[in-house]
Amino acid sequence: MPTATINGKEVTVPRGTAIIRAAAMLGINVPHFCYHPALSAPANCRMCLVEVEKARKLEPACYLKVTDGMVVHTESEKVVAARQAVLEFILINHPVDCPICDQAGECKLQDYYMAYDAKPSRLTTGKVGKVKVYPIGPEVVYDGERCILCTRCVRFCDQITGTSELTVVDRGDRSEIRTFPGRELDNPYSMNVTDICPVGALTTRDFRFKCRVWLMTSTDSICTGCARGCSVHLDHYLGETQRYRPRFNPEVNEYWMCDEGRLSYKRLNANRSGALRVGERDDLSWPRAARMIAGALADAQLQPDQIAFVASADASTEALVAGHEYALNILRAGRFYWTGRADGEGDAFLRCADRNPNRAGLVHSFGEQILERGADRLLKDLKSGGIRALFMMSSALPFGREAVEELAAEARKLDIFILATSHAGSLSSAATVSLPVAKHSEQTGTWVNIDGVAQTVDAAYAPPGVAIADWDVYRRLAAGADAEWPLDSVDAIHARIFSDEAAE
Amino acid sequence: MAVTVTKIPRPDRSLWVQSYVPEVMRGLSITSKQFFKNLFTKKDVVTIQYPEVKRDYPERYRGLHRLMYRDDGQVRCVACMCCSTACPANCIHIEAAEHDDTSIEKYPAVFVIDELRCIVCGMCVEACPCDAIRMDSGIHTHPFYERDTAFFDKPALLELGGPSVAHQGGDMKGVQGHH
Repeated sequence: MPTATINGKEVTVPRGTAIIRAAAMLGINVPHFCYHPALSAPANCRMCLVEVEKARKLEPACYLKVTDGMVVHTESEKVVAARQAVLEFILINHPVDCPICDQAGECKLQDYYMAYDAKPSRLTTGKVGKVKVYPIGPEVVYDGERCILCTRCVRFCDQITGTSELTVVDRGDRSEIRTFPGRELDNPYSMNVTDICPVGALTTRDFRFKCRVWLMTSTDSICTGCARGCSVHLDHYLGETQRYRPRFNPEVNEYWMCDEGRLSYKRLNANRSGALRVGERDDLSWPRAARMIAGALADAQLQPDQIAFVASADASTEALVAGHEYALNILRAGRFYWTGRADGEGDAFLRCADRNPNRAGLVHSFGEQILERGADRLLKDLKSGGIRALFMMSSALPFGREAVEELAAEARKLDIFILATSHAGSLSSAATVSLPVAKHSEQTGTWVNIDGVAQTVDAAYAPPGVAIADWDVYRRLAAGADAEWPLDSVDAIHARIFSDEAAE
Repeated sequence: MAVTVTKIPRPDRSLWVQSYVPEVMRGLSITSKQFFKNLFTKKDVVTIQYPEVKRDYPERYRGLHRLMYRDDGQVRCVACMCCSTACPANCIHIEAAEHDDTSIEKYPAVFVIDELRCIVCGMCVEACPCDAIRMDSGIHTHPFYERDTAFFDKPALLELGGPSVAHQGGDMKGVQGHH
């Protein structure tokens, strides 16, 4: 294990560690463009040049491995002068149209320019014009002028997805990133190149010009697009999610996420329902509505076998634990079903065929046997009669439009149909009682992914209208029924989840 | 720090002053002198007959906003949101959109200023990197009878605008093969 001295601080690292990693261990950031921890180091941007004592010239920190007794200076006069020169070279042809560029605010070039260079251009010649707004793929747009040719995107397609769509064409100041002839950047992870692009050369068609990055607040969250549950930065502005960015999590998704998951944030914004409706009335408070629901259930004089509770693999573990408690002890349901979204395409990298973010949490709360009673079985049982009251935890169904309409039509015939939903739709209009609930961006919740990794996320912003957290719905319904309720906080639910785990 | 005390002497009130009437007469004589002077000669009037007569505003007076335009009449603004970010009153609403011309790339599809909410600080003008927004129209915000009429949209702001002499996008002379 070699020991090196970086900026006067000693660090011992495993053999083969690059200087830039060793510096990072000491909390020293060496400016860089082309280096990315998950990709190979071509050392082509020359931004990370550092001074190594006894070396004849400056060395790239991303490439040179630490050796025993190495003495490195990352902020010496010589290094800073080299950095300024590199920035000046890059800015020869880089258009300084930051007001237009979407990367402004999270641009490495902008940051380093402000930190090291901050001088006007000395050049009197014009800039080389290159391709603008080039559709390099269905989701990604390329701007040749802004590109600094770090080749992170090329290496991503070579080394991470293995699809090798991209390459550098032409030479010198005419170089541009292009796809190979007849191909386009259309792999299912293509939008990751926009995250690793240090400048605004690659942008997503979806987020392009939608919101300036400095206006948004970022909350650590997860993607609920599939059972992988990739860690994301949930960037939001004015109570609306603007985009997902993958968040480094070595246990789940490392630095990446799939395009489908990245665009699944749209579900958080579209067609939301924040209205609490009981029968024809939509002006009720939660306590009043809860009393009316409890009263209606008591008046109906139902047998447990006539009451069905439908759990959701889309809900948080907190919601499932509280829902289970409510269904058993207050609703006294005799039939249990589960629903969720239909399976999709999966692959060996991140995407899971199971598009439900919390199947593991569902099994944890309701037991393995519930998986045999899915939405098809629910529809069949509704048609054959016997069910008079139905409680659904979410409106997510693995059906097409027709089957949803069919289920809604069956549900209309019931005495009582209570639906806790975050979205307005045919199911919520069929419900006798529609309870508005928050999405995962609006409440505290724990999601357990396909590998059993549990991630607890906090609310990024407030839910719309009078919507509340899923677990809170059951607390309020229990209060309406004047029943004992042990799970009156997230902490109480967590205590139960973790005591269960300890007992196993 | 030591407290410094300044002693202010009491005014000397002589019997003449304290007898009240002569001083009142003196004051009234000054008022009457001014009154009759202005009534017949109008030499010393400081007021103006607004709104028939208007005072010249100083050159840097901040009036209603206006949006400048390019040589071809299109809006100069590139929807960078610097003005709306700098605005302390949050009165500027911009929605950016993709422009068909790739050399312009981005333009404001919606640009609305709530002139009632505006506090006339001029920060938007200082923040603008494109000389697109100015407050040099010389028109001060007039009263609005309906709140809706205080929202100035892009056409209204462009109507007050003019061509800007500033060079857009920096010095682009000698650009080779610019698409």
